[in-house]
Amino acid sequence: MLKFVIRRVLWTIPVLLLVILMTFLMMRQIGGNPFRTSERAVPPAIQANLERKFHVDQPWWKQYLYYTQGVFTLDFGPSLTLRNQSVNDIIKQRFPVSLKLGGLAMLWALVLGIPLGIIAALKQNTITDYATMAFVNAGYALPNFLIATLLIYVFAVRLKDQTGLPTNGWDDWRTWILPTIALGHAPMTIFARIVRGSMLETLQQDYVRTAKAKGLRWRRVVGLHVLRNSLIPAVTAAAPLLGYLITGSFIIETIFGIPGIGRYYVLAVFGRDYSVVLGVTVLLAGIIILANMVVDILYGYLDPRTRDTRT
Amino acid sequence: MALLEVDDLRTYFKTRAGEVHAVDGVSFTLEERKTLGIVGESGSGKSVTVLSIMGLVQSPGRVVAGSVRFQGQELTTMKDRQLEDLRGDRIGMIFQDPMTSLNPTLTIGTQITETLRRHRDLSRQQARKRAIELLEEVHIPKAASRLDDYPHRYSGGMRQRVMIAIAISCDPKLLIADEPTTALDVTVQAGILDLLEELREEHDMGMIIITHNMGVVAEAADDIAVMYAGQIVEQATALDLFDRPEHPYTEALLGALPTLEGDARHARLTTIPGRPPDLIAPPEACRFAPRCKYAGMDDCNVVAPELREIRPGHWVRSAHPASERVAEALVTS
Amino acid sequence: MIGDRRRADFEATLLRTADERGRDAGAALRRASLWRDALHRFTRNRAAVVAALAFLSMVAYVTLTPWLSSLDPYAVDFSIAYQSPSWDHPFGTDQFGRDLFVRTALGGRVSIGIGFAATIAIMGVGILYGAVSGFVGGWIDNGLMRFLDALYGLPYLPFAIITLAIFGTVNFWTMVVALTIASWFTTARVMRGQILTLKQNDYVRAARAVGARWHRVLFRHLLPNTLGVIIIFVFLELPGVVLGEAFLSFIGLGISPPKASWGTLAQEGYTAYQTYPYIILIPSLAIAWLILSAFFVADGLRDALDPKAKQKAA
Repeated sequence: MLKFVIRRVLWTIPVLLLVILMTFLMMRQIGGNPFRTSERAVPPAIQANLERKFHVDQPWWKQYLYYTQGVFTLDFGPSLTLRNQSVNDIIKQRFPVSLKLGGLAMLWALVLGIPLGIIAALKQNTITDYATMAFVNAGYALPNFLIATLLIYVFAVRLKDQTGLPTNGWDDWRTWILPTIALGHAPMTIFARIVRGSMLETLQQDYVRTAKAKGLRWRRVVGLHVLRNSLIPAVTAAAPLLGYLITGSFIIETIFGIPGIGRYYVLAVFGRDYSVVLGVTVLLAGIIILANMVVDILYGYLDPRTRDTRT
Repeated sequence: MALLEVDDLRTYFKTRAGEVHAVDGVSFTLEERKTLGIVGESGSGKSVTVLSIMGLVQSPGRVVAGSVRFQGQELTTMKDRQLEDLRGDRIGMIFQDPMTSLNPTLTIGTQITETLRRHRDLSRQQARKRAIELLEEVHIPKAASRLDDYPHRYSGGMRQRVMIAIAISCDPKLLIADEPTTALDVTVQAGILDLLEELREEHDMGMIIITHNMGVVAEAADDIAVMYAGQIVEQATALDLFDRPEHPYTEALLGALPTLEGDARHARLTTIPGRPPDLIAPPEACRFAPRCKYAGMDDCNVVAPELREIRPGHWVRSAHPASERVAEALVTS
Repeated sequence: MIGDRRRADFEATLLRTADERGRDAGAALRRASLWRDALHRFTRNRAAVVAALAFLSMVAYVTLTPWLSSLDPYAVDFSIAYQSPSWDHPFGTDQFGRDLFVRTALGGRVSIGIGFAATIAIMGVGILYGAVSGFVGGWIDNGLMRFLDALYGLPYLPFAIITLAIFGTVNFWTMVVALTIASWFTTARVMRGQILTLKQNDYVRAARAVGARWHRVLFRHLLPNTLGVIIIFVFLELPGVVLGEAFLSFIGLGISPPKASWGTLAQEGYTAYQTYPYIILIPSLAIAWLILSAFFVADGLRDALDPKAKQKAA
């Protein structure tokens, strides 16, 4: 098991390097010399200084190396539009917010989605199943900006007096509710469907029949034999969902006025703050790669067969 | 009192196309310490019969009629919880494919001990000890070190032995083996059958073996029931069945066995033409008639024959059992 | 005796019938092809048929409505601004008094158009990459797959955004390219998997044993069999692309006006959702309609082309 983990961890490094390279190259296509494209005029002496400091006079591959070095020491360079702030500062301010939103959304998705899937599977083809899946499927195709809007409309406009849920900002816990649900809804539906599907399949398996033939209590059969094997596909679905959460956060943060990194990213693109764009992209990519690694390792733990056969 | 009494068992499956009569009036009795072999082709209802006995028939199937009495207790009316207590404890069952019948994500040890601790009051240590003893009883080498292995590390034959160990772990009085050797290599099959016999002796169990392999049943069974299209068409002691088969189907099955002597090298394998009937609306007639050599222009296509005792201890469901056939033998080879 | 002759006749009847029956069966098998079988199964699947009809009706709506309607979608008339749905304007009017029924249809043309174009491009790139990788095998395959793994690490939206930024403007084609670049990975991987499984297949081995050249094997044998998977994937990728475009438009990176897509319409409607919720509701529902119908069609296709998969689970 340990060998497997080490192998998997080591593998992320070249992938990360490659990602940084690609993003870097793409950014170069846009920016050219970052300092000259910014709106504010900079006195030539200071500009020369800045250029030297950020190695703009060096060939591109050296810039890449410097940048990579920066990434691994967690230094993403200065912001191009906010004079006194570095990208690090911006990330430090805003990323925890997004992280919390994403975390809560994922939590919501798991806590609601998995039980719904289990219930639907155990009561297959009954009213409970149909009702649950109707609810789940309804949310699946609706774009999350619609869900967000609907939530706001229902809870903050129509039912304003009863519930009074705020729809802007990110201060106390009440501001977290609506955005979490809006962002977490689609992943919730995905988990529910996956869990239901895989449970139905597992319930047909021969070893479940054996477990019943052994006289084990149904609770144990489901709880141990069935769930363990059904949750594996759900786990593997979690990593790509991370990508969705990041994508979705851009929109949810915009709608609910949440000071997160997603919202800032869009603003940075419009404002041509390319070092922020580059830095945040690399950061997000790093997170995704890390998450994939964790999921792979988790998968190896849950399904012992993969440990022995994986390259 | 017999160990197991099955009386007019009927299990039907509701499908979109209609109701399938998978088991349509099966009756037999199993005495203690005896082995009953149930043979038949795929779809004859043999597996569904024993699943019905165990109460393991899944929707859309259900037992619609009949009674199953195990040690005097009626099983068909038992609540689920009571059945759960019975299964694994007083009735053990092993299935056809040991590869898929064991949970791949749990260790062998867990799968044995969970049965033990479910039905007996044992501590973890005690259960583990007993599990090792069981593995040794089914002749798994180096049992102690293999307890914490996962099923994929075992070979097919060993996995089946593990299944057997699990099934007998609580000393059941009845062991049901559904095609125990079908998924195994021929060389391994004999070992499993020997093991089953050995354990049956050791534990004083009654046994039901299901198979489509006449060779298996010849070796292992005291009595044999031949099933076709959801019904028993012939039932007798093993000796009598092989010596003097009565039902045309049984004869055909025996005739289909390849032989080593005689014309075998130059002749073709005899097969039974046709296919089993559709069990959704079983015809009011002999179900074997369409494939039967002897179904003449008489009642066979109109009247369903009853199961009758043609000789003491030998039952047959046919209008043309061998003993009554006036015609000279239509040689089957 | 009479019995003997009757018996012989009957026997002969039995045997002859079996023979004939066998011949008939063989003939039937030869007539049916994979596609006809699949079509037959598909049409018997009620959910899939309903979904297919829904999908087609949406396509019909976006294609025909602007053509057939007399309303000018660009006519600005503030006197009828912000009207709720009515007989004259089934979807109401927007802040400029423009009819939304036609505007939504036009928006659909853009959204679905981008969707199809991007999906085709994704298929093209993905199939090429995956097929080459799977077919060639060896260390080239390894390298290509590792590269793909790295690409998987790039977050979807930022990647698309950066691509758009590189282009500088956002129009139909830059959007298509951006979405394609951000989404082709899964297809490539699946295609490679398909090719790998098929490569092991006996009939491929047979073809090679006869000495068929690699391109013949690829085009005559491998690709037709993956055709089914490709079709299914088209219906799975399309919704993703349409949604992606909607997301980008919603955050402001959509096609510039006056050409609008469903996403831009939704964004316009967002500003007034509190008082006029239908403006954002309608394009969003249109997107959902497309996504759901495409998805269920894909489901139905999958069952139709590989019924065994469902039987195993049934």
